[in-house]
Amino acid sequence: MRISLDWLEDYIDLPDGVDIQKLAYDLTMSTVEVEGCEHSSEKFQNIVMGEITEVLPHPNADKLRICRTDVGCGEIKEIVCGGTNLIRGMKVAVAKPGAMVRWHGEGGLVEIKNAKLRGVESYGMICASSEIGLFDLFPCEGDAVIMDLSNFDASPGVRLDIALGIDDVILEIDNKSLTNRPDLWGHYGIARELSALYDIPLKEIPAFAPFNDTAARSGLRIAIDAPDRCARYMGFRIENVSTKAASFKIQSRIWRVGQRPINALVDITNYVMLAVGQPAHAFDYGNIKGGITVRVAREGEKLLLLNGRELSLSSEDLVIADDDEAVALAGIMGGAKDSILDDTTDVILEIANFTPLGVRKTATRFETRTEASVRFEKGVDPQRVELAASLSASLFTGEFPEMRITAFLDNYPTPLVPSPITVSLDWLAARMGKSIPPETIRASLERLGFDVRIEASDLRVLAPSWRSTGDISIADDIMEEIARLHGYENFAPEPITSAFEHPINQRDHELERRLREYLSFRCGMQEIFTYPWVRDDFIEALSLPKGGMLQLSTPPAPDERCIRSSLLPNLIEAVSKNVRFAELAGGFAIYELAQVYFDRGYAAKQDEREKLPEQRRRLAGAVTGAADDVRDLFRRAKGIVENMPRLVNMEPVSFTRPEPRPAWADDTVWLGVTRSGKTIGHLALLSKKAALACGIKQAAVMVFDIDVDALEPLPSRTNKFAHLPEYPLVEYDISMIFDESVKWGDIEAAASGKKGPGDIVREARFIDEYRGSQIPGGKKSVTLRLVLGSDSKTLTSEDIEKSVGVITKRLSKQLGGELRAG
Amino acid sequence: MKEKLAELRLIGEERIASASTVAELQAAKGTLLGKKSELTELLKEIPKLDPALRPEMGSAVNELKNHLAGLIEGREETLRLQSAEISPDFDLTVPGIPPASGGLHPITQMRYDLDDTFRSLGFEIFQEDEITSELFAFDNLNFPPDHPARESMDTYWLMGHDGGRGGDRLCLRPHLTGASVRYMLSRKPPYRFVYPGRVYRNETTDARHERAFFQYEALIVDRNIPFAAGKVMVKGILDRVFGRDVPVRMRVGFFPFVEPGFEIDMGCLVCGGKGCSVCKNVGWIEIMPGGTPHPNVLRAAGLDPAEYTGFYVNIGLDRLVMMRYGVDDVRLFHSADLRFLSQFR
Repeated sequence: MRISLDWLEDYIDLPDGVDIQKLAYDLTMSTVEVEGCEHSSEKFQNIVMGEITEVLPHPNADKLRICRTDVGCGEIKEIVCGGTNLIRGMKVAVAKPGAMVRWHGEGGLVEIKNAKLRGVESYGMICASSEIGLFDLFPCEGDAVIMDLSNFDASPGVRLDIALGIDDVILEIDNKSLTNRPDLWGHYGIARELSALYDIPLKEIPAFAPFNDTAARSGLRIAIDAPDRCARYMGFRIENVSTKAASFKIQSRIWRVGQRPINALVDITNYVMLAVGQPAHAFDYGNIKGGITVRVAREGEKLLLLNGRELSLSSEDLVIADDDEAVALAGIMGGAKDSILDDTTDVILEIANFTPLGVRKTATRFETRTEASVRFEKGVDPQRVELAASLSASLFTGEFPEMRITAFLDNYPTPLVPSPITVSLDWLAARMGKSIPPETIRASLERLGFDVRIEASDLRVLAPSWRSTGDISIADDIMEEIARLHGYENFAPEPITSAFEHPINQRDHELERRLREYLSFRCGMQEIFTYPWVRDDFIEALSLPKGGMLQLSTPPAPDERCIRSSLLPNLIEAVSKNVRFAELAGGFAIYELAQVYFDRGYAAKQDEREKLPEQRRRLAGAVTGAADDVRDLFRRAKGIVENMPRLVNMEPVSFTRPEPRPAWADDTVWLGVTRSGKTIGHLALLSKKAALACGIKQAAVMVFDIDVDALEPLPSRTNKFAHLPEYPLVEYDISMIFDESVKWGDIEAAASGKKGPGDIVREARFIDEYRGSQIPGGKKSVTLRLVLGSDSKTLTSEDIEKSVGVITKRLSKQLGGELRAG
Repeated sequence: MKEKLAELRLIGEERIASASTVAELQAAKGTLLGKKSELTELLKEIPKLDPALRPEMGSAVNELKNHLAGLIEGREETLRLQSAEISPDFDLTVPGIPPASGGLHPITQMRYDLDDTFRSLGFEIFQEDEITSELFAFDNLNFPPDHPARESMDTYWLMGHDGGRGGDRLCLRPHLTGASVRYMLSRKPPYRFVYPGRVYRNETTDARHERAFFQYEALIVDRNIPFAAGKVMVKGILDRVFGRDVPVRMRVGFFPFVEPGFEIDMGCLVCGGKGCSVCKNVGWIEIMPGGTPHPNVLRAAGLDPAEYTGFYVNIGLDRLVMMRYGVDDVRLFHSADLRFLSQFR
């Protein structure tokens, strides 16, 4: 919202030489956010009133003239100009060197410099209105028409904004910060705030003297059929008016705050709205059949708006209707039928109050937000109708001295009665951490229109009507008023003091953090975040059941309706995006820890009235690598899951093969992750089919997916200390050839299984597998490392050879292993 | 023969000094003193000499032999200490091998930084489900029944669960504040906790707006907490996040669930408060809302607002991370683009 300082001064006398920056700062701190200040003095720098003393032909161009122009202090300059309406004695706007103008009203601002035009030196330029941002105020046809300012009194050389009486400072106010303050949607409301902030009186708008009720009522019939949606409707019939232009003062004021002047009738209603925040609407009485009814629209009823759009209404919409049909969309926009035309002389002035929700719904459905609807949506108080009526009456009198108000009716079924609020002074002091004298409080609240009585240790407060549509209703609201007027900066920071009985121990929270830190810092994986909604094609590519997934009513995209019951679709989508980058071709590892949701298990949590679906935390990771090295990829991914319990401090998990296999997993390379006999996740290679369907052609992807809520953090670190060996351990590597079908698990069991008290094998470790030219087909060479040691002596070479011999023999006997030569 | 010896001495000394590895030295030793060396050959010549010359020449040859052997020994020790594998051309500019290349998401990093700060102040960490009901998302928080945020143009309601009201109407949480009431309902006051999480809004996205973004909420509730105590919390957070003294101001702001409510601004760190394009020339940047929980919120949490009060702040993590690193597009956080994420390791 744009607020004019000049306009504000109609209602308050700001201290002389007020610092605009300070005023903007004070408003920001205590009332609304001022986003910027626009000074007309900057905009019109080096643009002055000039008077043409002589018009001479240009020696080299037919369409150009040389204007000898008085630019102030008796200085006559020659300016080359292509204007078609240049004459001697005409007053014009002159942009001197250094001024910023818009050439022919188009493009960005450019700086005017002395220049030669077709060989003749020109001092700046004589402007068309569009070139200095004044087109709306001085409309003209064609860009060759120069603004004729001969009607203005100012002498040559006066800066143009001063010459035209439009010198002003505009405060730009962030509309968002006004949301809860419908009283501030106009100059009068802001003036009232400043009056309280600076303790200066607010001038009253002279009340409209209501005239003979009986006589007036006979001329106008107004019925409110929907009192829940229209709290008040005041109508005037005003005759003997016209659509002449409004006075320059009205035009220039509404123009300065962003409205385009149209004609006196429309401009007055806009002026009233911008002044007091109450929308007003004038419509042609000649086109109204019978009386006015405020009613709900009929299903399918048609209404042609004044902007030419035809609406098909429903019973959710409120209309202003005459005896025949709807003529306006209440609180939003007038209709074509009742609109002001060039020959209008007899109008109805509507000043009404419509309730916020209905206006918002209708405006939203038809995507028609107007200055009026925006204000009604915030909750204008019905009392303000009177303020607007008073201002309108004086404006009509000023613009149309010959006008007659021939009918007047105020339909206000249930007047608003603010409720009193009691505020304890002790409570106030405790909450604010500071005591402010009651008289000071009363004085500042009264400036805002509150009625305040001090009774013993309480304040009894009655809020003004304009703060009573939801803004002020409890003691805390009054505290906020007092504190903000006192200035939040004037409250010193207070230490936080609070006694607590227990140290914080949040195992479950720590588990999550440990999981993330384990994967990121130990396993070299990158954490990602993806959206909770999932693309249909990825759900299908992974053959996930869509049935159990919850869906959004208004999804971000038509194919992103489902919200996830699995992290995998978005994880794999992330893989498919990243495999395209050449720098990641060597492989990468990502994971996400987030919630998933199921359309099942509805239950109440903290409140019986609620039924929430089952939601679980899940951890999913993907490790990608070359498609020809799946064994290595598998081992890397398995190692991550295998070592997780120990390094994250949680109860152990194990690997199993629980049917069924996940639909997205490779036929062979998949495992279940189990805890206490329950499958809580999977570790598997993404099947070729799923990978291709997800657009992953080259890489192999190992995936793990684990239910975090099924993991159990340990109460403390539980691994035990093992005594260091008293005698040195010996490591001995052997390589043996086995059938492909022989599993490492069996080799390890056979090699390390203790067979007697004298057995010195401590451990058998997997070193590597080898398949190649020296190894027959269908076989593999496995290298394992035996760790040997005794508790009673240092091993001799005979001890070692004997033990290795026993193990090799066991491996050949049980598993058909053959010692590799060399 | 004397000339020959002098020549061999020069050649020998030269070869020994120029040997740059032990192997080269061994080769030189063979050439100079081995069985087929010229020196050995000379020694064999001595018996053939004039007997009067023999003792002198014999001792001269032996002297040279010992001299060279000594040099070789000295050179060998030098070379062994230098370690044979390292050449003087060793390239010190070769980059180091990086450790395992993983990382936390920059939002998570920021969140854990804040967790650590608040834990040091005795705050618990709380997390809750992402799907909630209108009851907790709006009703309990003093949103009027016709508040626009309740409409589907702002909130992601769930299909098939969007017809009812209150506890039956479900959505992806539009903010975290609702779950604060859950926390308070399941524990006894006083409360001092933080609540990190992701929230969802039905919005049109651009470089500054996202449909999914992260908030970090802190709430303290006790018998006597004047709202000025909130300044300490806010300052604690910002000083920690930015690692230096950050000016803070609290100004009027409106949110249904607080009364009084504040917009909390931090001094612009880019221009130091003088005004620049980042802070739109005001020297301050809006960083979080805050305020005293509205009495209706405390009531919803089962507390008597006449007895209890508190202070609340809600920080937009995305914004904070953007400021920390100078990220200019909020959508990158959900892009899962490793070229972006790997910059924050």
